[in-house]
Amino acid sequence: MNTLNRRDALRLLGLSTLGVTALAACAPDASGGAPQGDTAAKAFGFTSWSLNEEAQKAAVQAIVDGYAGNEGVKITTASFPYNEYLNQVTLKLRGGQLTGAIQLDVAWLGALAAMGKLRDLAAPAAKGGYTEVALSSGQSGGKQLGLPWTTGSIGLIANTALLEKAGVDGVPATVAEFEAALRKVAALDGVIPYAAATKAAQLKDILPWMRTFGSPLLDGDTITVGDEPSVAAVEWYKKLYDAKLIAPDVDRFDARALFAQGKAAFYDDAIIARGVVASQAPDKSLADKMAPLSRPVLKAGDSPQALLWGHVIAVVEGEGADAAADFAAYATSDTATVARFFEQVKLPPTTTAGLADPKVSGDAFTTEWTEKITKTATANPFWRYAGYAQIETAIAEQVQAVLVGDSSAKEALAKATETAKGLQK
Amino acid sequence: MRKLTNGQFAWLLMAPGVALFLAIIAYPLVSALVTGFFEQSLVRPGRTFVGLANFADLLGGDFWPVLRNTLVFTIGASVIPFVLGYVLALALNSGLPGWLRGVFLFPWVIPAVVVSFLWLWIFNANYGVLNGLLGTEISWLGQPGTAMAAVIVTKTWSSFPWMMVMLLAGLQTMPKELHEAASVDGAGTIRRFRSVTVPHMKGIAGIVFLLEFIWNFQHFDTIYVLTGGGPAGATKTFAVAVYDTAFKGFDLGHATALGGLWMVLLLVLMVFYLRKEAS
Repeated sequence: MNTLNRRDALRLLGLSTLGVTALAACAPDASGGAPQGDTAAKAFGFTSWSLNEEAQKAAVQAIVDGYAGNEGVKITTASFPYNEYLNQVTLKLRGGQLTGAIQLDVAWLGALAAMGKLRDLAAPAAKGGYTEVALSSGQSGGKQLGLPWTTGSIGLIANTALLEKAGVDGVPATVAEFEAALRKVAALDGVIPYAAATKAAQLKDILPWMRTFGSPLLDGDTITVGDEPSVAAVEWYKKLYDAKLIAPDVDRFDARALFAQGKAAFYDDAIIARGVVASQAPDKSLADKMAPLSRPVLKAGDSPQALLWGHVIAVVEGEGADAAADFAAYATSDTATVARFFEQVKLPPTTTAGLADPKVSGDAFTTEWTEKITKTATANPFWRYAGYAQIETAIAEQVQAVLVGDSSAKEALAKATETAKGLQK
Repeated sequence: MRKLTNGQFAWLLMAPGVALFLAIIAYPLVSALVTGFFEQSLVRPGRTFVGLANFADLLGGDFWPVLRNTLVFTIGASVIPFVLGYVLALALNSGLPGWLRGVFLFPWVIPAVVVSFLWLWIFNANYGVLNGLLGTEISWLGQPGTAMAAVIVTKTWSSFPWMMVMLLAGLQTMPKELHEAASVDGAGTIRRFRSVTVPHMKGIAGIVFLLEFIWNFQHFDTIYVLTGGGPAGATKTFAVAVYDTAFKGFDLGHATALGGLWMVLLLVLMVFYLRKEAS
């Protein structure tokens, strides 16, 4: 019987490696091809993470049903959880399995634009009556790749009842006052003073704090994460973590749950927070106790930091794209639709007419949020890179290493920056 | 009409299977291995041939911590359920009520993702059952040491029943006369276990352990649901690292290169398994 000895096996392995390398050098590109399908088709898909979230599901489905009923089209809906959404949409888009309209976070537009499969929506955008700021959130590479559905910001929210109970007078305006307030709240039994993100999936929330401490994050094309202010911000975050003023194992969804149960005094969220928390809270008056506040500044006179945030609806070029573009325009700019949507989920519209609707303009929480948070909100500078999510992940994983004591802030951020540099494409 | 030879007939019978194998196993495998030699992104069209650069990057950095984590998880999640399964199989074979077999099988029939979510709530630092019972405030999934232990406990809970059933089946094939003869010769319980049970079970126990080891080496869902590979990469095994690199980092070149290295290690395990099975 013929047997393979070790030397032959090694030879075979070497030859196989050479063979695969040679094959690799000659292999064609396997990325997706040109868009296909009938763009005038009356059936299309709508992919949305909101259809997966209890607080928004019914309102979004009503928009879908309303348009399908009025226009006599068939809309097939699909949904993925927010934390998996970009990944799933990217895969399906690359594989040509995704058609029609897609809800996107404004942060993702750059990454998906790089795939070259989204339709330029300049024509419907010009007719929609959108505000300039909102329109800019749907632009990438000089094209209007998304119609703005809502534009707002991510900022700090407080439970005023808990602050009062803890003896916190007034709203903390500086980082020092904020920390002092957290220490007072810590005295309450079973309450996490600040349900800040500590899981890697949401640790990008530390970026506004880095800016608060004075780091620009990006200067031109030079990443400044790792500079003195950003290191100071992470050391401060670690101090809060060690003092149990922030808690381990928290992402946005945990934070909402804790806040809704009255077990957290502060947390970061978008304006959607009021609707989401109110729907989860056993205390039905909690929504009235929620107050948006400007992120505390390092020293008086600094500008409060907040992250610009919003959703757009993009359209995949190909099957049903014409009807999908029309649906995107309807969902984002039809005044009655956007006002009703605001009434249901409290997401501010993006058109001048929508914002002027009494249902919107008369809402005190939204007005306060706009004044205190959105007014000074800025975009994440990394969004301009297709690899922005990897850059955020690199920073988040290193900040987490600091929190669990695996690394110093200086070393961790230097490592994160080194990784991030390779992703600036 | 010309008759087919036995060899031709055999090839004819195998043809559908071979075609399926080539289409759904061989082609994707070769395609993935080939991608490891390119710089290729999931979100950008086109790719650039970089030779062995992706492999060199990995071997100079991420590969070793991921290998260490994979080995810690694989050994922990194979040895502990094996010992537990063996003990329970012995107990069931020694007269423990038969209905307990069904009870012990319960964790195995629950899908791994559901099991993982159950344990996610149990281990949650802020509102988890475990901290509630112990009166502690430990971040089980938020600290590197406890996170790996938590993942191993969860995997143990879901996989010990399978090992128990297989080992019990092995125990039940053992002739009673062997134990009776050893007893007559004056052997006690421990001596009978060492000299009769263990030699008889060596074959099946080896196969069961090796299969579990191979499956754990590739395991994904429990780790991904519980920790996502964190905190700070402390539970990042090959399966999670390949997924993260490909589908979160969109870096297909490094992901498939890592997959290739992972496959080589799996092949070594497969050789052990095939030799064991043949013997």
